[in-house]
Amino acid sequence: MTARSHPGAVSLRTDKPAPPFARILVANRGEIAVRIMRTCRDLGIQTVAVYSDADADALHVRMADVAVRLGPAPAGESYLLVDSIIAAALATGAEAIHPGYGFLSERSSFARAVIDAGIVFVGPTPEAIDGLGDKLIARRTVSALDVPVVPGTFEAAPVDRPDDVAVIVAAAEQIGFPLMVKAAAGGGGRGMRRVVSAGELPAALATASAEAYAAFGDGSVYLEREVQPARHIEVQLLGDHHGGVVALGERDCSIQRRHQKLVEESPAPGLTADERTALHAMAVRVARAAGLQSAATAEFLFDTARRFWFLEVNARLQVEHGVTELVTDLDIVAEQLWIAAGAPLSDRVHAAAESSLAPGRHAMEVRLYAEDPSRAFAPSPGRITSWAMPSSMGVRVDTGVRAGDRVPPDYDAMIAKIMTVGPDRQTAIARMRRALRETEITGIQTTLPFGRAVVDDAAFIEGTGLSTGWVLERWDGEASRTEVAHVAARIAAGVAAVGTVTGRTDDLVSVRKDTDRPGAGGAPADSAWRNSGRSAAVDRWPR
Amino acid sequence: MSSTTMHEGDASFVIEPGDVVSDPLHRDAVVGEVGAVDRHGRKMVEVVVQGWRFECTVEDAERAALQARASRPRTAGETRGGPLEIRAIIPGRIAAVSVVAGDSVLAGQAVLVVEAMKMQNELRAPRDGTISRVAVASGQTIEIGDLLVVLA
Repeated sequence: MTARSHPGAVSLRTDKPAPPFARILVANRGEIAVRIMRTCRDLGIQTVAVYSDADADALHVRMADVAVRLGPAPAGESYLLVDSIIAAALATGAEAIHPGYGFLSERSSFARAVIDAGIVFVGPTPEAIDGLGDKLIARRTVSALDVPVVPGTFEAAPVDRPDDVAVIVAAAEQIGFPLMVKAAAGGGGRGMRRVVSAGELPAALATASAEAYAAFGDGSVYLEREVQPARHIEVQLLGDHHGGVVALGERDCSIQRRHQKLVEESPAPGLTADERTALHAMAVRVARAAGLQSAATAEFLFDTARRFWFLEVNARLQVEHGVTELVTDLDIVAEQLWIAAGAPLSDRVHAAAESSLAPGRHAMEVRLYAEDPSRAFAPSPGRITSWAMPSSMGVRVDTGVRAGDRVPPDYDAMIAKIMTVGPDRQTAIARMRRALRETEITGIQTTLPFGRAVVDDAAFIEGTGLSTGWVLERWDGEASRTEVAHVAARIAAGVAAVGTVTGRTDDLVSVRKDTDRPGAGGAPADSAWRNSGRSAAVDRWPR
Repeated sequence: MSSTTMHEGDASFVIEPGDVVSDPLHRDAVVGEVGAVDRHGRKMVEVVVQGWRFECTVEDAERAALQARASRPRTAGETRGGPLEIRAIIPGRIAAVSVVAGDSVLAGQAVLVVEAMKMQNELRAPRDGTISRVAVASGQTIEIGDLLVVLA
């Protein structure tokens, strides 16, 4: 149908702008690689995947236009190989590399190497990554901006100079106990130790420093007062290459365990308009001072006296960025790509930044991990046999996993992000409760029961329970699991006994069985379940 | 007649022919893998209830009762049973071992640390006892089912 053939007809087709790049390489795996590639498809950009042997059949590899093998499963032999990744980009003609999160995303040496190879790095400049990645430098920079930082030291602690121990203990007493020993090169909760008294301090400094050196190659540690109870509230930032910086809204990420985030939502419940405005302004001030380009997040603690304290900036796209996307209706990855290609912040971004001060929507995310929340969240790698994710009104799921996939033990245990959005918080919660009930996973234990408990909790629903200590205070995984053990037993007995129970099969039919789905049901005669102990467990996992 | 027992001894439940097996929580449950009957007359049924995954062992109730009688401790004072073999439940690498053969341990005491999926997982003694054998060393890679420690 053209305008010619029907007088008065209007063509609905608008001219699409040329994509920012013809082809990019995604230097990551799992859900974030899939998510980035989806935006690339939307924009007409070809994608290059990189993968380890553990991911040879992974969704992100199947989705890409070209895939390059990096090496065996361990990250150090694959996803962290700077030279191999750059070589892959050059060999496949990728014009840019998106690092995702984790892995090399905050390694300035990687950003530099990418740029030196003539490839665009979709992220902050190497200098900004350095300035923000070193938490001590960031603290000094930020406190000079009149932004409150968590009270503490601004220099690396003298860990191996015994004469200076008295000095550090005096500094610690000024700060007050309990306090946190933190790694300067760390972040995201890694390389930290809690100290309750001066006597513990020298040993804590030594071990934290050793751990930091082993994990980050830098043993510098510093002290921070413990701010507890507090809410963890962070601001999504976006900057272009022309000095434009905006805040796109804040997220409350207080539901955490061992500093690993489990539930996030936006906007942060209960903030006044003034508090929100002040928070966004502080975050933008920090971002400008750091010369931030691309996406980043400024993290703050919000204490019971309603004061904000700067924690750190994560100079990368974060796991929970989708929550902000749902509230603002922005595609942050797409905006990153436009920015990386040299465009100024788009009108969409500016509009989103303005409305973020009074957002008309509420979104949240529950992360699913391959961990057992009844055994202190011990990892539960294995093969996923069935995988049914929720959908429909206000539901978004980002995952890199499908039914039949193995969750390998070599990487982070997060397997899916279930997000909901609605006109207000109660709708977002109602949709999340419905979505989690629709979520069905068999084959491995996941943190789904924990996610359900959070969104069912009265204090969470009211918005009064939020604090970073919430998990410790309220969660009893073993009890929760034991409560339903008898139900599982009954159902299993019913399923196993079908055929021998007479006369009352109608109720047994109400138990959904996988026997009706292709490939499921009774295992073959040489099933692993015939064997006991070790061989049953081993067969179950590396199938 | 069938009875169901859990691997960890959490719950057992007997149903008989003609029983109505229904529960409001059935709608919040998914049946996963159903194994074949093994040589002991047992069948594994995977059931996920409210996100909690169980591997249920279903067996004939009479057989289960016989088994229970056979494994009951003989003497009144013998409540601990024989030596307890503690095996790995996740693959990984031994990061630290804090006991040697001969050590007395209390229930809950840390025995070793397994590093897996970028996290440290502490193994704790399930009951009081004496370590009769430490079968692994720091730095060693382990698979699921590998013997770690024997607790007497």
